[in-house]
Amino acid sequence: MIPSVRQRGASLQGVAIAGIGVTRQARQIDGTSAAVCLEAAMAALDDAGFPLAEVDGVSARWPGPGGTVFHPGSVDWSGVFGHGFTWVGDTYPQGAPGLLDAASAIVAGQCEAALVFGGRAGETVGSNSGDSKVAAYTRPGNEFVACWGSLTAAQFALVAQVYMHRFAPDRGRLAQIPATIRNAGTVNPDAIMFGRGPYTPADVLASPMVAEPFHLLDLCLASEGAAAMLVTTLERARDCRHAPVVVLGGSCEWRRQQYVNPPRYDDVYRVGASAMGRALGMAGLTASGIDVFELYDINSFEVVRQFETLGLCGEGEGVDYLAEAGIGLDGRHPTNTDGGLLSYSHTGFSGPTMKIVEAVRQIRGSAGVGQVPGAEVVMATGAGSGAEYHNAVVLGPDR
Amino acid sequence: MPAEPLARSERPLTGPFWEHVDRRELVRPVCSVCRRSFFVPQVVCGRCQSGDWSYQPSSGRGVVYSHTTVHRPPTPEFSPPYVLAVVDVCEGDWPANGRSGGDTDDYGEDDRDAWSMLTWIVGCEPERVRIGMQVVVRFVPGPNGELLPAFTPAASEDAA
Repeated sequence: MIPSVRQRGASLQGVAIAGIGVTRQARQIDGTSAAVCLEAAMAALDDAGFPLAEVDGVSARWPGPGGTVFHPGSVDWSGVFGHGFTWVGDTYPQGAPGLLDAASAIVAGQCEAALVFGGRAGETVGSNSGDSKVAAYTRPGNEFVACWGSLTAAQFALVAQVYMHRFAPDRGRLAQIPATIRNAGTVNPDAIMFGRGPYTPADVLASPMVAEPFHLLDLCLASEGAAAMLVTTLERARDCRHAPVVVLGGSCEWRRQQYVNPPRYDDVYRVGASAMGRALGMAGLTASGIDVFELYDINSFEVVRQFETLGLCGEGEGVDYLAEAGIGLDGRHPTNTDGGLLSYSHTGFSGPTMKIVEAVRQIRGSAGVGQVPGAEVVMATGAGSGAEYHNAVVLGPDR
Repeated sequence: MPAEPLARSERPLTGPFWEHVDRRELVRPVCSVCRRSFFVPQVVCGRCQSGDWSYQPSSGRGVVYSHTTVHRPPTPEFSPPYVLAVVDVCEGDWPANGRSGGDTDDYGEDDRDAWSMLTWIVGCEPERVRIGMQVVVRFVPGPNGELLPAFTPAASEDAA
């Protein structure tokens, strides 16, 4: 059902995603982050059939030389694209916040067509890896965190452990969630884990423990690649190659700086509840009106937590609820239909945008083996409890 | 190019915390206006926005709020398995005054004198660590040899 326009955020619905672009995703990609970012951006323009010369806004995030740390030789996107801009975003991260910032700039008349993109390459090995098998962005640098050998998975584990302690969910049923999402990646030819699996809950529980309660297969990948989207007015998007995907609503919730504060379940469990509620409210929907969920799946517990805080079930009830409702293509809540961060790819810098990309594909009906028949309204989210921020957008077709 | 990082004791905001740690003392920021303890150190108290705060001695006693045993460390200098924990440090009655169980981080509603930190649980088999365990501070060398304020089960836990 396509909702009516509501007061707050109504103007967002004059903004659409006209193009999407994704590069090859892999555990390691040779080259530079800037090069894969450019590749994704050009792919988004090509997808839209939109002229580069008419892009007047840019928002990019990438690590390494030329990246968001100030270095000599910093990439100058106006130099790369051959012209200047009227709006430059500095959104961290990309994905929902990047889309909402670009949409806000368009609504406010600061630009008309914005490229939002990010990614990484050449970082897993070499000078930026720190000789670690753990990707640099999963190693929080704060002096009260790094000294203990924490990692982002552990920050989330500290939240999940309290949930396990209080609600003692059935571990087999919980493991069904990452198994289902991973199995969507098993059949997605673009996924890094394509052809691996299929996975059973027992496989998840038998995989090596990383940080209790998380086994390896509970946790997302750390990979390389880039993703991009072209955001413009609905009017201009109607002239592009594909049917526009409209921003029905969206909101962010910034609780604390990520990975600094000790993550306490009672403080962070509900992170994102209000953002998702506002996004739904703008769209004039409730969670049960969402056809497909592209949720930020940095780990299995976060999928459960997001469904609970969406209000589809109570706190502590999510594992049983999802086991009964189903999150596969044939379930009541098809979720992470491309294999998600668990199996498709997670680059840190473009993972949030990958959620938007898959949402667009679902609405266009071009999601291939992961397509949910008749999908119209899709929610895409980013971040999570252990990171102390969260964000959500609700996307739909042009009606 | 990024400058060389400052030695921890020379950092403007947090240097005094580490100087105390080097002397095997645990301190925490306490707001001089509203008396709230907070952590991590920041420029002002998050409840009353006063910059008038100072490092005060801590009881060094706390309760394990959550814990996870890390089996895959982020970098090779950490030797797994080790137990990361969020410890609610209790400055008043112990542990009745602890933070465990409630949402206490809505500034203005927390009148209990407790604060939380990320730390290690040491001197205890990882399997024995449990939520609610009473712990006391114990200074141990970190991977680069500098002391860190870890926690270990309190004597009362040995009998349990």
